Amino acid sequence: MTIQITINGNPCSSEAGESVLTIARREGVEIPAFCHDETLAPYGACRMCLVDVVSGPKKGVTTACTLQAMDGLEIITDTPEILRLRKVLLELYLAQAPKSKTIKALAAQHGIKKTRFAKKVHPEDPLQGQCILCGLCVRVCRDIMGAGAISYIGRGQFTEINTPFYEENDACLGCGACAQVCPTQAIAFEDITGTRVMKSWSETKVPLKQCAACGNYFAPVPFTAYAYEKLDPAIRDEIRDLCPDCRRKEMTRKAILLRAEGVGR
Amino acid sequence: MGCIGYCREEPLVNIHLPGKPLIILHRVTEKDAEEIVRAVAAGEVPRKLSLCRINDWDPLVGEKLLFGEGFQDVPAYAEIPYFAPQRKVVLRDAGLINPEDIDEYIAVGGYSALYKALTRMSPDDVIEEVKASGLRGRGGAGFPTGLKWGFTKKEKSSTKYIICNADEGDPGAYMNRNEMESDPHMILEGMLIGAYAIGAREGVLYIRAEYPLAIQRLEKAIGQARDYGLLGENIFGADFSFTLTIAEGAGAFVCGEETALIASIEGETGRPRPRPPFPAQKGLWGMPTNINNVETWTNIPVIINRGGAWFSKIGGERNSGTKVFSLVGEVDRVGLAEVPLSTPIRTMVYDIGNGGIEGKAIKAVQTGGPSGGCIPASLFDTPMDYEHLTAVGSIMGSGGVVVMDAGTSMVDTARFFIGFTNEESCGKCVPCREGLKHMLMILDKTLAGKATETDMQTLEELSGVIKNASLCGLGQTAPNPVLSTLRYFRDEYNTLLKKARK
Repeated sequence: MTIQITINGNPCSSEAGESVLTIARREGVEIPAFCHDETLAPYGACRMCLVDVVSGPKKGVTTACTLQAMDGLEIITDTPEILRLRKVLLELYLAQAPKSKTIKALAAQHGIKKTRFAKKVHPEDPLQGQCILCGLCVRVCRDIMGAGAISYIGRGQFTEINTPFYEENDACLGCGACAQVCPTQAIAFEDITGTRVMKSWSETKVPLKQCAACGNYFAPVPFTAYAYEKLDPAIRDEIRDLCPDCRRKEMTRKAILLRAEGVGR
Repeated sequence: MGCIGYCREEPLVNIHLPGKPLIILHRVTEKDAEEIVRAVAAGEVPRKLSLCRINDWDPLVGEKLLFGEGFQDVPAYAEIPYFAPQRKVVLRDAGLINPEDIDEYIAVGGYSALYKALTRMSPDDVIEEVKASGLRGRGGAGFPTGLKWGFTKKEKSSTKYIICNADEGDPGAYMNRNEMESDPHMILEGMLIGAYAIGAREGVLYIRAEYPLAIQRLEKAIGQARDYGLLGENIFGADFSFTLTIAEGAGAFVCGEETALIASIEGETGRPRPRPPFPAQKGLWGMPTNINNVETWTNIPVIINRGGAWFSKIGGERNSGTKVFSLVGEVDRVGLAEVPLSTPIRTMVYDIGNGGIEGKAIKAVQTGGPSGGCIPASLFDTPMDYEHLTAVGSIMGSGGVVVMDAGTSMVDTARFFIGFTNEESCGKCVPCREGLKHMLMILDKTLAGKATETDMQTLEELSGVIKNASLCGLGQTAPNPVLSTLRYFRDEYNTLLKKARK
């Protein structure tokens, strides 16, 4: 059902129940958020997307990601109150992840150069003093990839994200989706001849697959197994164990052959 | 046995001689055993140990209990200042029946409300009755119970759940514990009636593992109810079946928050989930779920038997019924006291509690658990109910009342509670996880005499941000002890600041 909501005085059409953050971004309204990804369920942890509901069933400050659109809903994204809350939150983030360039940049955009709060010390932090515990990596690993290789350890201010017992975890597919979604680029991994080393995740080692044609390493073995299982068998046969480069060459070669046959006929 | 709630006078002993009033002995020690036995053998009771007598008792859901006459020289129950202002609705059987015997519960009218609901009322009738009672959630938020039930009832789903939240974790609060230990069947009966009204066939009792006796008694009660056909298929021959299981908590305070509690039952880390979807739409295992606190469930059998209209006459405006409070701290008479909602703090602290220990002056009370505020003695006329406690910067919470006398440092008190919530924060959202940590650092700095006026401004601003920006109730209320002490006891902070300027 299409409905009308109002964002900063501008009417927008949307589907009922859609996340207000999604609608705002589609409409080009900038709302910062660290813990949101369109492929995952709303999480409400980073609190950056706070907006003010001025007309709706429950007025007041709430997160746009968890707010569901309904007809007549009216929100404002940049009231002085919202900006004030966001600034203090950014100060908290600056203290928590003092090395994060993303946080520093967003704080600077909000006019915050330094934080009043004591900076967290991160000795030998596998996440390089940049993790803000938004949980995107944990959720993408569990809810999208189905691996659940990493999770939260401890609680409150002592919460960390890593593999169970900080040991290498063979549940890891080595796909790197965690690093891909990380808003602060805190997650590190490196490919060292035939092995992907998940540096942030207790040095978990994942073997890499060699291309059947050129012999180059191109993807983690468990990840290709996971991906092949999801593919249409016909496509799977076509891809075989080729790296993207060789696959392209192979496809081109086939296409030329087909054309040549056509001409011959 | 169960407990009548007068903790200061423990250990209590009940003596009932046929045809005589029930006598409650107090402060009994091992040395008194012989004297007690001798007296009872002679058809008497030891006078100097006798606290009070109960000639008859109204268990509200059944017929009046008549114990007997005699022992006129022992003060009557209603004459004891600790009991006089109280009104027992929730604790109607506590300390008077054997909680491990279903027959004793049935003897005081137990399960008759369930019978009435299943045989003479439709699920809608039950919900209407609960709505008419005006009962509000006793976990602390005060949401109207009948309305909440209605939300889960209207969801179209073949599977629905009901949950009893028995994860009582506030420091100094033990209302739910006594309700479970003294009268477990009333919780089962309340849940059964709720399940019938909502259309749930399965229920879960989520109890903190730190309450082993409560778990043991509820397990026993569930076993007995099953044997009597009160749990299982076609209860009382009606088209209603219900099973109940116990889930034990794992020691996290935040699991008292309903969405974290659901996550915990599902085997996940106890971290709150955003609402919507509300548990009424997508709760346990993704199914419509209704969660109520222990004390909310205990009121249900009374409401069904006596009627919503009767119930709504107890208490204050929009605050019907009674509430059990745990009266602790530097107060003369500590214990569990049940009073009608909207009873003034003064009645609780002075009439029931008899003021400070050895006559010391009372400075403040802190209500509602670790995230409640401190209310100064000048505001003791405030009625104890949802709206009035919120208006003075505290909360109702689950009913903890911590009394502080003149010797208590309010800054230290605030630091204690922030220390607690900081430790129990789940760590999911940034204001609660990081904000409380920094609040604690500033409070420590203040107590060490090193804080400045700027730190006070930061503390106040941070409190406001945590209150307004946190995901769940824990963070949204956690700064209350600081905000309320800054509001009423600012001079105590200032005194500590002055030292820093020297």
